Amino acid sequence: MIIGLTGCGSTNNGNGKSAEPGKQEAKQAAVVGGDLTYALATSPDSLDPHRSGLAVAVRVLRTIYDSLVVQLPDGSIKPWLATEWTTAPDGLSYTFKLRKDVKFHDGTPFTAEAVKFSYDRILDPATKAANSVALIKPYKSSEIIDDYTIKINLETPSRAFLGNLSQALLGIVSPTSAKKFGDQFGKNPVGSGPFTFVKWEENATIQVKRNPDYAWAPELVENKGKSYLDQITFSIVPEEATRIGSVQSKQVLAGETVPPQNIVSLKSDTSVQVHQVNTTGLPYTLFINQRKTPWNDVKARQALQAAIDVDAIVKTLYLGTYPRSWSPLTPGVIGYDASLENGIKPDVAKANKLLDELGWVKGTDGVRVKDGKKLTLHYVDGSPNREKRNDIAVIIQQQLKQIGVVVEVEITKDTANVVYTKGDYDIYGNSQVNTDPNALYAFYHTGDPKARPTLPGLADPQVDKWLEQGAIEPDDKKRVDLYKQVQKAIIDQAVIIPIYVFPYTVAASKTVKGLKFDPLGYPLFNDTFIQK
Amino acid sequence: MARIITERLIVSLLVILGSLVLVFCILYLLPGDPVLSMIDPSSMTPEAIANLRNQLGLNEPFYVQFGHYVFSMLHGDFGKSLLNSEPVLPKILKHLPATLALTLASTLISTVLGVGLGVLSAIHRNRLIDVVARIVGLFGISMPTFWSGILLILIFSVSLGWFPAMGSKGLITLVLPSLALGFVGAGFIVRMVRNSMLEVINEHFIVTLRAKGVSEKIVMYRHALRNALIPAITIIGIHIGDLLAGTVVIETVFSRQGIGRILADAIMSKDLPVVQGVVFFSAIIYVLVNLLVDISYVFIDPRVRRTQ
Repeated sequence: MIIGLTGCGSTNNGNGKSAEPGKQEAKQAAVVGGDLTYALATSPDSLDPHRSGLAVAVRVLRTIYDSLVVQLPDGSIKPWLATEWTTAPDGLSYTFKLRKDVKFHDGTPFTAEAVKFSYDRILDPATKAANSVALIKPYKSSEIIDDYTIKINLETPSRAFLGNLSQALLGIVSPTSAKKFGDQFGKNPVGSGPFTFVKWEENATIQVKRNPDYAWAPELVENKGKSYLDQITFSIVPEEATRIGSVQSKQVLAGETVPPQNIVSLKSDTSVQVHQVNTTGLPYTLFINQRKTPWNDVKARQALQAAIDVDAIVKTLYLGTYPRSWSPLTPGVIGYDASLENGIKPDVAKANKLLDELGWVKGTDGVRVKDGKKLTLHYVDGSPNREKRNDIAVIIQQQLKQIGVVVEVEITKDTANVVYTKGDYDIYGNSQVNTDPNALYAFYHTGDPKARPTLPGLADPQVDKWLEQGAIEPDDKKRVDLYKQVQKAIIDQAVIIPIYVFPYTVAASKTVKGLKFDPLGYPLFNDTFIQK
Repeated sequence: MARIITERLIVSLLVILGSLVLVFCILYLLPGDPVLSMIDPSSMTPEAIANLRNQLGLNEPFYVQFGHYVFSMLHGDFGKSLLNSEPVLPKILKHLPATLALTLASTLISTVLGVGLGVLSAIHRNRLIDVVARIVGLFGISMPTFWSGILLILIFSVSLGWFPAMGSKGLITLVLPSLALGFVGAGFIVRMVRNSMLEVINEHFIVTLRAKGVSEKIVMYRHALRNALIPAITIIGIHIGDLLAGTVVIETVFSRQGIGRILADAIMSKDLPVVQGVVFFSAIIYVLVNLLVDISYVFIDPRVRRTQ
């Protein structure tokens, strides 16, 4: 059966730039039917959106669960399970009108009760919720006004809240099934999404099949009705050579996370297309720990900023397939300051001069010494070598040798202890997927002494003020200005060294059409079909 | 003979118990907090984290934890995964067949290839077949399995399209991974069989047999090979133990299900009950294989029976 399709997903065949969501190919007729096999790089931990702590789970979660609202690539928030909403003048509550035609895969009708249940469930310690807890802040409570109207109360006003509601980790679960399966809900997931869960064979495959009743897709996709695909089989293939080999040998139709060298070589393979979508949020960033000397002095940090040649690192390791980052935010996040691009040039002479000024003098072995102490930098990285992050550490070790800094690299999986509990690092790298600039708050706002300390340990009252205002500022234009000031201050004070923006990459057979990606870079399968 | 087997059984049980104690101690003393690896600490209150720790019994003293552990193990209760509350024993039993199939197939490949080439190369010493066998042996030993595995995928899946690159459904998915693993074992066995065959060939009884006019085939395959097999069986036994470790790598490369994958995942996420369960099972298998090897000596070599 062939039906007309109004448009087809964005594809961008490997020119190294991100696909423009919304850019369309020539219109094609969608083919109904078929099983899309999709190789994942790691295994999801749980298919319970509220309990999952892994990004890879979201690829599957997005097929099973819907959210209250959707965020478009331009940052605007549009209806999904909610048809409209109003914000209280004080910003402390939202009232949502809900769709009346939605039901969960287990037959439970979708009502305000389900929304209240889902959000309250995240806060309930018995759920042992993972990343969703941080995402739902500052949620306080829900009041059911009637079956299809719900009022959500917040602890404090938040401009990021609506955007966060669009994320899969805050997806709405079926209350009936969540109660029935309890802590095994993650193995028996039930939502209202375009696909229903079939089975999960551990370390092998996860299968979902078309939800025939689906008719409430958000504006982000073209196909508002049921999916074209009969089913999707996610295979878990951790070894990258095997994953790409499976796509090339046609054992699977698509595989995620293509290593840079393969992105380059797959471009010449006529049967394969490569999609590349730059993820948004905080890029991979090296945080300089200001609680440690000499990094509490801006000159020392600027010396690192000038001595580390980020361009060389990114070009060497990712062969031009990952964009270099310039700001604490990635392009694509509201308020991203493009004027920071190309602002910092590597300058070893300047770096040497700065350290000289601080009284660190080069000894006979080329290492700087002050008061009998050698200038060492403890560089911590969480193993394994995800996205070649360990290699970044090694290159920086070589680059900083030129300015007389000894870099001691520690690769450890136990970052919870080394970094967060003991704070035993001078540099630690991290990244975060997000669509709202409020993500900066957790990293750069002077921490509550009782809370987990921030990575750079920045304590700047001015930056704090901007971040506080940015979290609640209702005027979009003013908000953008606030975040631009924050970004500029962070780079000027050399709080961090931003390294790269991570592109989510998918290698797919040419017959796979209409693969789309949401603003965070997660794949959407509503418009996907397999050309015969 | 019955006495030998009983003795061996008792020793085996002791080994299993010992491994139980050892695994528990290692994991108990390991740095890092399993609770913190289960959850994002910033998203939970300290009270909730303390509750969770209590629930898991992590606040009990060492001997209480160990007592609980041994008691429930003996009752077939291996606990629940810290990550998704899944019971450990069914999880292991579900994945064990895939690993056993892989182990069996690769042992078969390495035995046939190893013994065959070993014998041929000893008989035809310094001829072409000997050179080939020695090269195969050297390659088998020196190639890391993740590399040979990927090589096999590139040749036989991507280029030729003969075998699937991944999965654990059906016999066809077993071919490449068991070849990759079997090759390693073959490498060791070839060298062992060749050397012991060469030794045996020069022994007096072989010279005597030849002098009596017994045909060369009977001398080689009935008398020499039988004597050369004892060290080969030892190597095969040790290799089966190695295979359990080798499957961790190969199951990951070929995306197979199996207890190797489970173990690797569990170690990465500090899922202690799962690690303990898998290691316990591996110890049982290792001990069983060694038991079989020991018993097989008795059948192959009458001298073993007499010396006991």
